[in-house]
Amino acid sequence: MDMLTITNLKKRFGDKEVLCGLNLSVPSNSVFGFVGRNGAGKTTTMKAVLGLLKPDDGQIFVSGKKVVWGQTETNQYIGYLPDVPEFYSYMTPFEYLIFCGEICGMKKSDIKERSTKLLSLVGLENENHRIKGFSRGMKQRLGIAQALLSRPKLLICDEPTSALDPEGRKEILDILVAVKEETTVLFSTHILSDVEHICEEVAFLNEGKIVMQGKVSEIRNIRSSKEFTLEVINREDTKKLMDNFKDIRHTEENTLVFSGEENKVFDVLRYVYENKISIQKMERIEPSLEDVFLEVMKK
Amino acid sequence: MKSLFAFIKKEWIESVRSGKFIYIVILFILFGIMSPAIAKLTPWMMELKADSLAEAGLIVTEVSVDALTSWTQYFKNIPIGLIAFVLIYSNIFTKEYQSQSLVLVFTKGLSRYKVVLAKSAMMLLLWTLGYYFCFAITYIYNSYFWDNTIAHNLLPAVVYWWLFGVWVISLIVLFSVILKNNTGVLLGTGGAVLTVYLAGLLPKLREYMPTMLMDTSSLLSDATGAGSYMKAVIVTGVLSVVFVAASVPVMNKREI
Repeated sequence: MDMLTITNLKKRFGDKEVLCGLNLSVPSNSVFGFVGRNGAGKTTTMKAVLGLLKPDDGQIFVSGKKVVWGQTETNQYIGYLPDVPEFYSYMTPFEYLIFCGEICGMKKSDIKERSTKLLSLVGLENENHRIKGFSRGMKQRLGIAQALLSRPKLLICDEPTSALDPEGRKEILDILVAVKEETTVLFSTHILSDVEHICEEVAFLNEGKIVMQGKVSEIRNIRSSKEFTLEVINREDTKKLMDNFKDIRHTEENTLVFSGEENKVFDVLRYVYENKISIQKMERIEPSLEDVFLEVMKK
Repeated sequence: MKSLFAFIKKEWIESVRSGKFIYIVILFILFGIMSPAIAKLTPWMMELKADSLAEAGLIVTEVSVDALTSWTQYFKNIPIGLIAFVLIYSNIFTKEYQSQSLVLVFTKGLSRYKVVLAKSAMMLLLWTLGYYFCFAITYIYNSYFWDNTIAHNLLPAVVYWWLFGVWVISLIVLFSVILKNNTGVLLGTGGAVLTVYLAGLLPKLREYMPTMLMDTSSLLSDATGAGSYMKAVIVTGVLSVVFVAASVPVMNKREI
């Protein structure tokens, strides 16, 4: 069953058509990557799912229930982490979670237990200061805690790692992987390595439409690589190789990238053997999601 | 209901921790003390100025002050108190729009009308507390120095002015759900009060206008009875409720 279904979603801001007939379905209990350039319409889509924006056309269903703009009944199934989460800075993290639990209508004992558990999950259990002095990473972590508080069926994270340093990014990704068991995660980003790390499914958004959707492993293989690199010991050898082969790129000091069919590998190896060229390494280039993404965006 | 109280509690914590509550308390204590203090000091000040006034041809004879002088001063101070209150609380909604802190609250499924109600309730509570605290201070001083019974219709006059403040709060709420920034809310509220004030200058409209409730001098001196304010009281009360109620559908359809 799909946790989230969007059909023909349209939204226009003035002259700019941000979403032009977007269709998307997110299966239950998956970590779903929602990828697009800055300004592609990721946040607009998410805000429409949350009932914060009025779509011009289209329908959204969360856990089978229709989303109605302004009325936020479906939000009881959703936990939301905005790109820059804003809290009440005069509260402590614990106080904020208690407040969130109370407005969700959770039981008092449950709120306390859950808040304590989540604060330790995100590593903020010893932070008794007010949120005012928190770093971006700490705010993101608190953002995840508040989003998970009411045990949502769907966790929506809007670029949770974009503004963080590598360490902070890793922490957030680890947390998202950890919560996969409990909930479906929809996670927007433009950092493709993050998607490769934690997502099972991915959708590419371009110019207000989904241009590709599927399993990360399958999408990666759509574009099977026909490229391999060769790193030689002596620089002069690169010149010889370049004179002898076509479709060749000089990328670094001693490294060449060849493209061609399987036979090309043997040709190059034969040439290396016959001319006694000392090599450092030879490697097939693995197709990355980024390559697929860039190719799809070009179309 | 639980979520409404949770949001009211949050508003209270915000008022206290942001220092707004303390400003309101200090302000209204000051105004409460100021009215009798000014009345008490008037003869002394006149005496000090007697010489220079004499040169100008004015002869100061004995100046007598009583509770009425102090109450007149009280009703001159209260408008400044209300303006300060409006300045302090006019950003109660707009600050949250700008910081986007309501996004998380709404995505948790809190009904939007509860935000309107909680914020209205908090402003009403603080205005009521501050206003009557100020009144109590002046009342105690006045009864210590003079005799409060000299002021006629004191209770209606005080309640009417309080009701005027409630109406101004409902204007803050209404303009806050329509407009985006604090300046807009201030201009809208100020503009609405000014418009009503100007309309009240027309004799035919005067008795229906909320601004009539600010005119307490004729009440205190018993020139007019408290009953003649009834139309203005009803209009003001109804408008206050209507403004807050009308804010709910506007808030429901607002893009956050």
